[in-house]
Amino acid sequence: MAHQARDLPGVGRLERPLISVEGLARRFGDSAQPAVFENIWFGVDRGEFVCLIGHSGCGKTTILNVLAGLDQPSEGAVIVDNREIDGPSLDRAVIFQGHALLPWLSVMGNIAFAVASRWPAWDRARVQGHARRFIDLVGLQGAEIKKPSQLSGGMKQRVGIARALSIEPKMLLMDEPFSALDALTRGMLQDEVLRICAATRQTVFMITHDVDEAILLADRIVLMTNGPGAKIAEIVVNTMPRNERHRNDLHRHPQYYAIRNHLVEFLVNRSRAFDQEIAGAGYDPRRVKLVKPGLAAVNPPAEIVPFRHTYLKTEDGRQQ
Amino acid sequence: MFKDPFDPQSRLGRRCRCGGNHPAPEHGRLTAVPAGEEARWNRVVDAAVLRAVFPVDAQRRLFLKTVGAATAMAAISSVLPLAAAREAFAQGGAPEKKDLKVGFIPITCATPIIMAHPMGFYAKHGLDVEVVKTAGWAVIRDKSLAKEYDASHMLSPMPLAISLGVGSNPVPWTIPAIENINGQAITLAMKHKDKRDPKDWKGFKFAVPFDYSMHNYLLRYYVAEHGLDPDKDISIRSVPPPEMVANLRADNIDGYLGPDPFNQRAVYDGVGFIHLLTKELWDGHPCCAFAVSKEFAGQNPNAYRALLKAIIEATTFASKAENRKEIAKAIAPQNYLNQPETVLEQILTGTYADGLGSVKKDPNRIDFDPFPWNQFAIWILTQMKRWGQLKADVDYAKVASEVFLATDTAAMMKEMGLAPPDPVKKTIVVMGKPFDPAKPDQYVNSFAIKRS
Amino acid sequence: MPSVRNSLGLRAAALSLLIFVGIVAVWQVATMPTAGSGAAMDPEYAKLVGAAAAGGSKSAMPTPADIGATIFKHLSDPFYVRGSNDKGIGIQLAYSLGRVLLGFALAALVAVPFGFLIGMSPLVYRALDPFIQILKPVSPLAWMPLALYTIKDSAISSIFVIFICSIWPMLINTAFGVASVRREWLNVARTLEVGPLRTAFRVILPAAAPTIMTGMRISIGIAWLVIVAAEMLVGGTGIGYFVWNEWNNLSIANIVTAILLIGLVGLLLDQGLAWLTKLVTYPE
Repeated sequence: MAHQARDLPGVGRLERPLISVEGLARRFGDSAQPAVFENIWFGVDRGEFVCLIGHSGCGKTTILNVLAGLDQPSEGAVIVDNREIDGPSLDRAVIFQGHALLPWLSVMGNIAFAVASRWPAWDRARVQGHARRFIDLVGLQGAEIKKPSQLSGGMKQRVGIARALSIEPKMLLMDEPFSALDALTRGMLQDEVLRICAATRQTVFMITHDVDEAILLADRIVLMTNGPGAKIAEIVVNTMPRNERHRNDLHRHPQYYAIRNHLVEFLVNRSRAFDQEIAGAGYDPRRVKLVKPGLAAVNPPAEIVPFRHTYLKTEDGRQQ
Repeated sequence: MFKDPFDPQSRLGRRCRCGGNHPAPEHGRLTAVPAGEEARWNRVVDAAVLRAVFPVDAQRRLFLKTVGAATAMAAISSVLPLAAAREAFAQGGAPEKKDLKVGFIPITCATPIIMAHPMGFYAKHGLDVEVVKTAGWAVIRDKSLAKEYDASHMLSPMPLAISLGVGSNPVPWTIPAIENINGQAITLAMKHKDKRDPKDWKGFKFAVPFDYSMHNYLLRYYVAEHGLDPDKDISIRSVPPPEMVANLRADNIDGYLGPDPFNQRAVYDGVGFIHLLTKELWDGHPCCAFAVSKEFAGQNPNAYRALLKAIIEATTFASKAENRKEIAKAIAPQNYLNQPETVLEQILTGTYADGLGSVKKDPNRIDFDPFPWNQFAIWILTQMKRWGQLKADVDYAKVASEVFLATDTAAMMKEMGLAPPDPVKKTIVVMGKPFDPAKPDQYVNSFAIKRS
Repeated sequence: MPSVRNSLGLRAAALSLLIFVGIVAVWQVATMPTAGSGAAMDPEYAKLVGAAAAGGSKSAMPTPADIGATIFKHLSDPFYVRGSNDKGIGIQLAYSLGRVLLGFALAALVAVPFGFLIGMSPLVYRALDPFIQILKPVSPLAWMPLALYTIKDSAISSIFVIFICSIWPMLINTAFGVASVRREWLNVARTLEVGPLRTAFRVILPAAAPTIMTGMRISIGIAWLVIVAAEMLVGGTGIGYFVWNEWNNLSIANIVTAILLIGLVGLLLDQGLAWLTKLVTYPE
C-alpha cells in the first residue's frame, strides 16, 4: 500500500508534480555490473503529455514498468499524488506495445473486463454502457462483438486505448504503442490520441523512438542517453502550442525543424557521447537542463530555466 | 436318528460307529429310513421332543411300557404341541438370506453349481441364487475373502491354503461338498503325437490353472513317477484355462493338465490331442469344490443348509449317466459355460473324440460325488508339503477335518434321505501306489523326487 | 476455395475406403479354408469335432463374412438380458462407459485444481515432479491387484484404477497450461488490480483451457483403454468382461466384434472431447 511520501530533511514541504520520479536506478546482477540507468529524476504535471525518447537498451521500458508498478527499482521511488507507489494500480493505466488484449473475449468483453475491475459493484448493463462510450470514442462502433483475431493491428491498439481510458485513470502510461503498426495506421492513431487528449486533458507518459510522433503529441520530451549507465540528458520543451499542431501541416510550422533537428542530433550523436559532453561541466541529475530549441528558430536563444522539480516553496510563498 | 421314539424297545442312548443311536450290529435294520420326506422330518422332531422330556432314556422306556405309545403321544401333545413343532421344523427355518451370490469359473468342474440355476435346484430350496462367472482363481479368492460371494467354486486345495494362510491371510474356510471327481486330462500339442512316453518330455513347457490345484499335484506326481523332476526337467506355469488352448496353438506350451472343457476344446479345434485322462492316474480324485467360509455358515445356518442341500441334490442328479445329456444342454449357453453343446456332451457322457482319429468311450471320464473325504485333504496336504508349498509341520488330520467337512455333510445327506458313503470302503490308489491317510509323513518321505 | 477443399475430403474418403476394401480382401484370402491332411476320417469321429478339425487342420480365423454376420447379430439386439452373465452388447458398453465417465470425472476434479497449484508455483512443481514421473508409467494391470487387496470391492477398484491411470495427462497439461499463460495477460490483470481468485478464473483458466482440454482428451483415451483391461481381470458386466467371456469360448469373431466396437466408442469419446476443445480454443 502506498504511504505518505517522505519530506526532505531540513527543507520545507515540497510541492511535487502529479508524478515525481526520484532517484530511480535499476541494476541487474551484482554491484560490479554497471546499472542500466541511475539517478533518474523527472516529473509529469497534471494534464501534461510527456514523451521519453532514447535508443533501445537505455531502459525506457523498464522505467515505464516501474511507473506502472510491474517492476521494482533497485533504488529510488516514484511518487504519485504525493504517495509512493507500491505495485500496479488502476490509477495508472497501461497501454502495452503488443496491445495485450485477452483473445477469448470480444472487444466489448475486453473493455468490460477493465470497467468491471474498476467498479465491481456495477451491474452488467451499466458496465456495458460505460464501455460503449469508449468504444465510440476510439471509433470502433459496430465492432463490439468481434474477437481480437478478427481485428487489424490498428483496431486492436484502439481497443487497448479504449480499455485504458475506460477506467478513467489518473495517468496513462504508453509503451511505444504504435511501433508495431504500419505508417498509415500509426498516423491515424496519433491523430486519435491527439484528439482524445485534447478533449480530456489526460496526463500521459509515453515512450517512443519516433521523433515526429514526440513532437506531434508531447508537451515535454525527456531525452535519455544510451545505456548502460543511462541518464537523462535534458528535457526539451515543446514550444509549439497545442492548437497549432496538426499532423498534416506539422512540417510547415516554423519551429518544427529546429526542434526536430535538435532531437535527431541528440539521438544520432549526443546520446552516445554525453559523458564526454558533461565532463567537468556540472551535471546535476536532479536539475536536468530544460531546453527550448524551437524558440531558437523564432527568438534568440532562450534562458535556461531550471527544472521545476527543484524549486522550493518556503512558508511565505516565495520561490528560491 | 429316525428311530421311532415311541417304541419302548428302541434305545435312544447307545451309539454306533456311524454316529447313530443303536448298537453296531443293528445298524442296518435300525437305520432303515422311513420313506417320504415328511415322515422323516416328523421322526426327527418327535425324537427331539421325547429326548427333551425324558433326558434319562430308562425313564422314557418305563413311561412307554406303562402307558403305551398312543397315550404317550396324546399326553405329550397336550403339553407340547407336536404338530406345531413338526410344522416349524418342516419349514427348516427360513433362510436368513435369500439372495445369494455364488461365483464360478466356467469349466465343467462347476457343473453342479451351474446347473442348479437353470434346472431349478436353488429355487426348490427357497433361494434366489445368482451364479456369477468369474475371471480367474485369484479373483474368486479375492472376492470370496471380500465377501462379495457368499459361496464359490474353488479348487480343492484352495480352502486348505486359505485356512492355513498360505498365499493369503489365514481365514477359516470349509468344503462341505466336492463338485466333481475325475474330469481332467493331459492334453498335448498335435506335433507331439509320437511322444507319448513322458521320458521324452525333457524340456517341455506345461501349463496348469493354478499353483494350488489338483492339476499341479497330479502332473507333478505323474512326471515324477516317470523319473522327471517337475521343477528341473520340465517347466510348469500357471495359465488361465481358456488361454491354454490358445497357447497350445501358438506353440507357447507343449501341453497342459487342465480342466474340461478345454481338453475337449483343443481336440475340437484340431490343436491338440488327449494323452491321458486323470481318471487313469487316480480314479475318483477330487478336483473342484464348493467352498464356503466358516463365518457364512455360522452366521446364516439356514441359508447355508438350504444352499448345501441344493448342491448335494444337483451333484447327485449329475452323477446319473442318463441325465448327462440334459445337463450339457442346460449349461452350454452364453450365460453359463458358453461352449458348443457337442463339446460338453462329449465330456459329460464320456463318448468323445481323442484328437488322434479314434472315438473313445469312458462314461466315468467325469463323475460327480459330493462327499468331501478327509483322506482327500490329507493327500493334498502331503503333496503341498512334498513340493515345498507348506514349509512348517502341520497336523494333517486336524486341518483336514476342519476344512473338509465330511461329518457335517454325512449328516446332511442322511437328513435328505441319501446314504452317505462308507468310510471303511474308501481307499486311495494313485498310479498303483496306495495311500494310507494315517501315515502322511511316511508317504511324503517315500518319494524319490521331492522338495521337502 | 470450397471446391478444392471438398475435393481433398472426397479423395481422402475414397482412399480410406480403398484401404478398407484391400484389408478385407487380403483377410478373406488368408482365411480361406486350406486343404486338410487328407487322411480319411471316421465319419462318427468327424461328427464330434469341429469343422476344421474334421478336415484335419486347425480351426481357422473367421472370415470377414463371419465377422460381418456376428456384428450384425450383436447390433440387431443390443440390449437383451438373458441372465446375469449374458447381456446384450449395448448393456455391456453402457456399464463400461459409466465406469469410465465416473473415474474420469473424479480424476478431472482432482487433476485441475492440483494442476493449477503446481503450475503457479515452481517450488511445488519441482517437489512433486519425481512422484508424478514415477507413478505415471505404471500399467493398470499392476494397479489392479493392489487396489483389490486394499479396497477389496471390485467395482470401486476398477474405478480407482481408471482414476489413477487417467489423472496424469490432465494434471501435467493443466500445470503446463497454467505455467505458460502469457506474461502480458497477467500484467493486464495486475494493472487492473484484479485479485488472485478473479485472475485465476477470468484470465488463467481461459488462457490455459485449450491445453487443459487437450490433456482431458488424452486422459479419456487412456481411461477407455484401462477399463477394458480392468474388466478382463475383474469380470462383472462390461465390454472387457464380454471380451473375456468370448475368449473362454475361443470365439474370435465375437472378440473382433468387440474390438471394433471398443474402437468405435473410443473414437466417439475422443471426438466428443475434441469438439469441447475446439469450443475453448481461441485464435491468438
